Amino acid sequence: MNVLTRGVKNAIRSPLKSGAIVLMFAISIALILSMLVARGSVLSKIEEVKATAGTAVTIQPAGVMGNMGGGDPLTAAQIATITSTTNVTSISSTLTDQLGTDDTNLTSSLELGSFGQRQQRFESSDTTGTTETTDTEATTRPAPTPRTTVTGTTDVNSIATDGGDLTIRSGEAFDGSSSDNVALVGSDLATKNSLSVGSTFTAYGETITVKGIYTTGNAFQDSGIIMPIATLQALTDQAGAVSSVTATINSSDNVASTVTALKTSLGEDADITSEAESAASSVKSLQGIASLTTAGVIAAAAAGALIIVLSMFLVVRERRREIGVIKAIGGSNGKVIGQFIIEGLTITIIGAVIGLVLGVLVSGPMTTSLVSSSANSTSTTETTAVGPGGQGGRGMGGPGAAFNQGAAQLNTNLTQVTASLTPQIFAAAVGITLLIALLGSAIPAWLTARIRPAEVLRTE
Amino acid sequence: MLTIEHVSKTFNTPGGQVQALKDVSLSVNTGEFVSIIGKSGSGKSTLLSILGALDNPSTGSIVVDDTQINKLSGAKQTQYRAKQIGFVFQQYNLVPNLTALENVMLALEFGGYPAISRFDRATQLLESVGIEEDQRQRRPTRLSGGQQQRVSIARALANQPAYILADEPTGNLDSATGKKIFDLLHDLSRSQKTTIIVVTHDLEIAGKTDKTFILKDGKITTK
Repeated sequence: MNVLTRGVKNAIRSPLKSGAIVLMFAISIALILSMLVARGSVLSKIEEVKATAGTAVTIQPAGVMGNMGGGDPLTAAQIATITSTTNVTSISSTLTDQLGTDDTNLTSSLELGSFGQRQQRFESSDTTGTTETTDTEATTRPAPTPRTTVTGTTDVNSIATDGGDLTIRSGEAFDGSSSDNVALVGSDLATKNSLSVGSTFTAYGETITVKGIYTTGNAFQDSGIIMPIATLQALTDQAGAVSSVTATINSSDNVASTVTALKTSLGEDADITSEAESAASSVKSLQGIASLTTAGVIAAAAAGALIIVLSMFLVVRERRREIGVIKAIGGSNGKVIGQFIIEGLTITIIGAVIGLVLGVLVSGPMTTSLVSSSANSTSTTETTAVGPGGQGGRGMGGPGAAFNQGAAQLNTNLTQVTASLTPQIFAAAVGITLLIALLGSAIPAWLTARIRPAEVLRTE
Repeated sequence: MLTIEHVSKTFNTPGGQVQALKDVSLSVNTGEFVSIIGKSGSGKSTLLSILGALDNPSTGSIVVDDTQINKLSGAKQTQYRAKQIGFVFQQYNLVPNLTALENVMLALEFGGYPAISRFDRATQLLESVGIEEDQRQRRPTRLSGGQQQRVSIARALANQPAYILADEPTGNLDSATGKKIFDLLHDLSRSQKTTIIVVTHDLEIAGKTDKTFILKDGKITTK
């Protein structure tokens, strides 16, 4: 029998007492592990969200959203400012317009419906041009008709709703920098007007040749037309005008600073949004959880340490006489301390093993519970359901669609945090446990080792 | 040879300073069986603690075989206790979680006895004090008072100490068992020439020792 076996034997000399200590300690270890796992999962998810946020920045004229709102399009000078901004590697520009029945020979493939009619109610009264409205005049208003959205762009893929390349069903994409009278026609519009590659139609008094038929799976987009931006600018007599610019930044680290620079240079004339900014607000709740779990680790570790320190303190105090006897018959301080450290370590290791198993079992559900409740609170207000043919009022199109899809994907990612127990997290939990065990056993033993045996024996 | 010169011991208590020993001087020759008698609170146990290096005197010196033990470091005093001294307490003070055999082996471990021989040595010691084979694997709570004291004496003898210090060794025993324990100590003194110092208030026991010191109010007189 030596210090090691005496320590182990002492740890189990009172099964009920040791069992209670082990159980309390196991619970705190399980909490430590769960919190570490939750923290690790949340931090990795934050990194993932940031990484997938992309480096696209959308610049739109102030007050304009699609074809809604007011204000002026972006000018050529503003486009030049955006292009020359540091860290901007490329831009794609978009200009949107709507073709009424007077502008084209095409029939819209969209049904106006009650929603569309409501959107056009103001314009019907405007066209009368009267200052005094009578019941008779109101009944003579022309019936509202659905319109066809035309998007001029330097990059046809900016229309894609899935954030990837536009699906060309037949024909081919045009050169975004050309000014030819060519167009890509949405599949629904092409069917409605029996258009195919090579067909022509009239818009703004000019003949336009169909270069390809595209499909997006979005009823609104598939009822539209895409043209080179220079062509649309020329047809609508808006030379250099742009309604939306998507700028690509060279690194996700530079997105925030570039947005700031653009806001400074463009002032109040433009609204600037980025996926990274959107992601930052999305991950705020996750960062809150990360802080909470860090505090949880510290609190659980402190509780575990306190349990072991107090328990060992009581054990040592209870065995003062025994310690006095051991010292009286020649046991050194080292042997007394060593014996109690082994005893504390034994209790701690048994508690830690139970706690780690418990922690592995509960950390998954705990992490999922923490993150899903948080994601619910952020995503409820952000989830959008759009009826077929309706998007952003009457005509939001272009890069905005891709942006919405990206944001939706980010929110989906938030709910996909899974509890992952990495070796590093496990090692951290074991390290904290051993530190607690050593401190918890050594401090009380050290205090008792300083007592002279005569003091202990005198009080017998 | 053990010599105490002008030893005093003062304790600080909540009620003020208490002088347990006042200028005590005595000497004990090697192999002597000595008793120290006195009433409760006369300072007997304090004197024994100082002799066994469990405590240091406030003033004075304790010289054991030319070594002033009260000037030794804590570690040296521990070594002194492990190899030179064997303690026998009134309450036996066996380690409750260890068997009789393990209690004796514990003292052998502290005395630096080779691990491989401890079991045999402990068995032999327990046999010599009359602890039977089936009792050796019992924990103290499953032994009678007399048996516990025998184990305690076997533990005290483990490292063949030069001195055995016994504090009321028969105080918790009935007279018949107490007599047997006393005879055991007496025999040891004679057969192994071990110096034995017994603190007792039993005058009958004191009468059978080679020398008796009377302690009264912290002062000593030779009988």
